[in-house]
Amino acid sequence: MLLEVVLKTLFILMIVVGVFAPIMTWVERKQSAMMQDRIGANRADVAGITLLGLLHPAADVIKLLTKEDVVPRGANRVMHLMAPVIAAVPAIVAFAVIPYGGVYQFGDHTLSLVVADIDWGLLYLFATGSLATYGAVMAGWSSNNNWSLLGGVRNTAQMISYEVTMGLSVVGIFMVFGTLKLTDMALAQDQTFRLLGFIEVFGLGMLPPWLDWIRLPNWGIFLQPLGFLMFLTCIMAENKRPPFDLPEADSELVAGYFTEYSGMRFGLFYMSEFIEVAVISGLLTALFLGGWAVPYLSQDTIIGAIAPIFGDGLATIVCMVLHVVTFLVKVIVMVWFQMLIRWSLPRFRYDQVMDLCWKILLPLSLANVFATALVMLAVGAA
Amino acid sequence: MPGRVIKVKRAEKLGLLERLYVPMIAKGLLVTARHFFRNLRGFITGKNRTDFVVQFPEERIDYPDAFRGMPVLVQLENGEPRCVACGLCEFACPTDCISIVAGELPDSGIERYPEAFDIDMSRCMFCGLCEEACPEEAIVMSREVEISTFTRDAMLYRKADLLVPENLLKRRLDFLRGEYEREDAPSQSG
Repeated sequence: MLLEVVLKTLFILMIVVGVFAPIMTWVERKQSAMMQDRIGANRADVAGITLLGLLHPAADVIKLLTKEDVVPRGANRVMHLMAPVIAAVPAIVAFAVIPYGGVYQFGDHTLSLVVADIDWGLLYLFATGSLATYGAVMAGWSSNNNWSLLGGVRNTAQMISYEVTMGLSVVGIFMVFGTLKLTDMALAQDQTFRLLGFIEVFGLGMLPPWLDWIRLPNWGIFLQPLGFLMFLTCIMAENKRPPFDLPEADSELVAGYFTEYSGMRFGLFYMSEFIEVAVISGLLTALFLGGWAVPYLSQDTIIGAIAPIFGDGLATIVCMVLHVVTFLVKVIVMVWFQMLIRWSLPRFRYDQVMDLCWKILLPLSLANVFATALVMLAVGAA
Repeated sequence: MPGRVIKVKRAEKLGLLERLYVPMIAKGLLVTARHFFRNLRGFITGKNRTDFVVQFPEERIDYPDAFRGMPVLVQLENGEPRCVACGLCEFACPTDCISIVAGELPDSGIERYPEAFDIDMSRCMFCGLCEEACPEEAIVMSREVEISTFTRDAMLYRKADLLVPENLLKRRLDFLRGEYEREDAPSQSG
């Protein structure tokens, strides 16, 4: 049992911290280069082998580790040294509740591919997300630098604002799925629903059977399209990457809250940002894009289809691998999409960020909750 | 001569789609995504890449004739500079980076020659005024710009360092002659 948990933790840590985070710097540079008709990182080499620039992350890490770790005079030393760690840890632990595979039955043993299958998974995610803010705020305050402080203050305001809207924008999701448990949500998204089913539900007429075939996967993005857009906006604002990088704002605040950081502590801020990108992708996948579900092919369908050939045990393993791969593909697509946004949109002005949150997203998210409740009530009554 | 004037028509008021913001974001993302996929395809197949990056130290492009690199002295076929040490370039130089010591050549037809001709490249700003001032086409701007050194002393170029055979500077000299003969050449007063 303990071994299982350790193995699951190691797997997700290896994927997220070991593969996604370091490669993300490479992806970011290469993708932006391709979007801007450039070539991108391709110079670092070992004995003439460049691997398409994949050695750059390694070179970066070596450089950062060998640099001097400066603590400015007048800075609060303890807090200054602690802040990057506080920023990085919540980003890493957030992946504990995101299911990267379904629940599989091996004889008597049940294997659930999630590190911590807790009932309040979504609340846990919000909690860790808020904790990550402290790292940036502490970094800004303890640096004894005006730019850093401004960045930290901006960070606080932005996080508090978007936290509210982020919470409200997913209320629709857990109303629809009726749970806060991310594994249950992913399980519910493994099914499909009839696109025109509402006609029958409201007694507007009977559907001819061939229309039953027009189905959509039971994914959050189809059930809550507005919720998806709002959640995506909010969570990108929480991540403080462009177009919401006001705490950093290179053109105004030098480098914002981590102006005074150097060496690997600076690298840690960057790494936590990149891990957060992966976490966000995982979260968006789990909540809105069906998690590990293969569209139109539910777990039972897949196992049922290949069990006669491979036998039950092997079929379950094949299905499990398929699900994990599906999950990772979805995460990669979402990472790509976030990078696309980051390299396409310019930074918002500070008042625009606040306007967007309080004047547009907050009323919209409330309206979304209300509309969802109305529809559910109507469906329940009919 | 003014360039071609293009008037861009912009709507004074934003349309509904623009005020909704999200469709316009989607449009912008489509543009960047299109570039990404086109370059990705080009990257895999090696064809139709749209990037125009020159891999500099390995790959170089030819600079245009009008390019002003470091000033050099035109060397005649007998190995001597064409310069007659009149000092006009020294006078024209805004940064005073040229210093000339003139010498006498009683037997030749040109009477004067530079005994020393130094250019301090750490001060030269590649403005090309020396070239314009020169009545003899003796100092011209080359296409050479990679002149960084590890010491300041190495930035002082002596006469021997500056001499470049005339045939290597033919493109620049032809370009200069063409410029002076151009009918719409800017007048001195203009």
